[in-house]
Amino acid sequence: MLLEAQAVSKAFGNFRAVSDADISVDTGEIIGLIGPNGAGKSTFFNCLAGDATPTGGRIIFADQDVTNASPEAHARLGIGRTFQVPATFEDMSVLDNVMVGAFLRHPHRNDAREHALRTLELTGLKAQAHQGARSLGTPGRKRLEIARVLATDPRLMLLDEALAGLTPTELQDAIKLVRRIHEMGVTLVIVEHIMEVIMTLTRRVLVFNQGHVIASGKPEDVVKDETVITAYLGHGHRRRRGDA
Amino acid sequence: MTKTPAFRSKILVLSVCLLIFPLVFSDAFYRDIGVTVILAAISASAWNIVGGYAGQVSVGHSMFYGIGAYTPLLFYQLWGWSPMVGIPIGIILSIVLAIIVGTPTFRLTGHYFSMATIAVAELIRIFTGTWDFVGAAIGLQGPATARGWWDLTFRGELPYYYIFLGVLAVLLYVTYAVEQRKFGYYLRAIKTGERAARSLGVPVRQTKIKALMLSAAFTSIAGSLYSIKTGFIDPESGFGILVSVQMVIIAALGGAGTLFGPLLGAIILVPLQTATNTWFGGGGSGLTYIFYGGIIVLIARFEPGGLFELWDRIAPARWRRSHAA
Repeated sequence: MLLEAQAVSKAFGNFRAVSDADISVDTGEIIGLIGPNGAGKSTFFNCLAGDATPTGGRIIFADQDVTNASPEAHARLGIGRTFQVPATFEDMSVLDNVMVGAFLRHPHRNDAREHALRTLELTGLKAQAHQGARSLGTPGRKRLEIARVLATDPRLMLLDEALAGLTPTELQDAIKLVRRIHEMGVTLVIVEHIMEVIMTLTRRVLVFNQGHVIASGKPEDVVKDETVITAYLGHGHRRRRGDA
Repeated sequence: MTKTPAFRSKILVLSVCLLIFPLVFSDAFYRDIGVTVILAAISASAWNIVGGYAGQVSVGHSMFYGIGAYTPLLFYQLWGWSPMVGIPIGIILSIVLAIIVGTPTFRLTGHYFSMATIAVAELIRIFTGTWDFVGAAIGLQGPATARGWWDLTFRGELPYYYIFLGVLAVLLYVTYAVEQRKFGYYLRAIKTGERAARSLGVPVRQTKIKALMLSAAFTSIAGSLYSIKTGFIDPESGFGILVSVQMVIIAALGGAGTLFGPLLGAIILVPLQTATNTWFGGGGSGLTYIFYGGIIVLIARFEPGGLFELWDRIAPARWRRSHAA
């Protein structure tokens, strides 16, 4: 088991954003987290990445308790994440952005630069290496975020809607990129609204609603699950469909 | 950010200009302006490490400047030691203060950090103004006449100019070395996005504290050079808020977070200040605040990246800064 979250909860005052959520991820898996807006996916995701400290439960990564560990410690252990809204370093070049990630395992500048250039080649950004990060469009920024995390040599990558907002062609390219990263031996947890991504890439999904995991299993089974359909469409969906 | 041959040739031209300036302008008035420009460039470049590169806008850097300014004259007054002895002690005290101030305040972000630094600097200024040991409100004086070269007390401006220029060269080289290393990349990443930097394994707080320590050390040296040259220091000229504000404005005007931005800012601002002082005399002392305020408004509104960024935007491509990796 690479990652295990046991009964993880996160409350903000009286509001419980995540309640007793469990997840177990084996090395080499790609797992999808789905759910309607406000379901608690991102908060749970932040707990896994060390950006938020759970108020209950614990998180184990590679046999180490990382429940209260900082995001820096997560990165050092091999957990990398992207952000829902790309958080590229705007004032830096594309190459420099990736070098910040590469420095984690390659403290010397030349080594970091070589590693960053290899990563940019893999992610299809080498041609833009010397451009400013702010000159990239949405697809480029999303790709840059992935490249930056990849440069830290993660064992587990947490992708937070990293493929949202792409055109169908860009989406296919991005799916290929995620597959390539997976083939490199990186385990992936993906938060995504685009079902095509989930159905294509993952073998297992967890569905969140109102802070709880309401279903888990194979994507093709989960999408037919009545609880999941109700969570997305509301209790009236049967009546509207004319089933009731 | 490897510097190209074009960059090296620009450095050479700049160095030659700075080296020959006091020889071309041999009048004491111009030489004094030259010394003041270099000193202001040292302070602003020191501030630039933490305020410009790391984006942690300290408005209380006078705390380090003041310590650096007081220690040489204090050791001279207490035991008659050469003011040079006080320089390293000022550096050590400033680094210790940087750790004491940085450890709690770097938990704060944005305006809160700036406000905390103002508060600490003002507390030190008020305390110094009432502490007889350091001359209270009257301040301290250095040697009136030199007992030897080690007193660093010269009649003309020329020796000061070249000593200060040497310190500036060292500081700019250190800053350049920082830019080229992991530390420099981390500082720039922190400036743009702390959360993202943290997620990539950047130890944000430690990096900020290290930057503050380095910045404090050089700011302290600037303070020491100032008090040794003028032979006098009081709470206002050491720890006053204008001292801090001047560092911020000079760096921001030229380009905070750029290697030569603070030097450019000093080259523009110091002669301007001298001119306004000459025109208005003592009656215009309050004008400095208005002048600084006006510059802050103009930079914030029209050119937050400073003159270097403006240059990058408007100059023909071949004249722009060469930052190609």
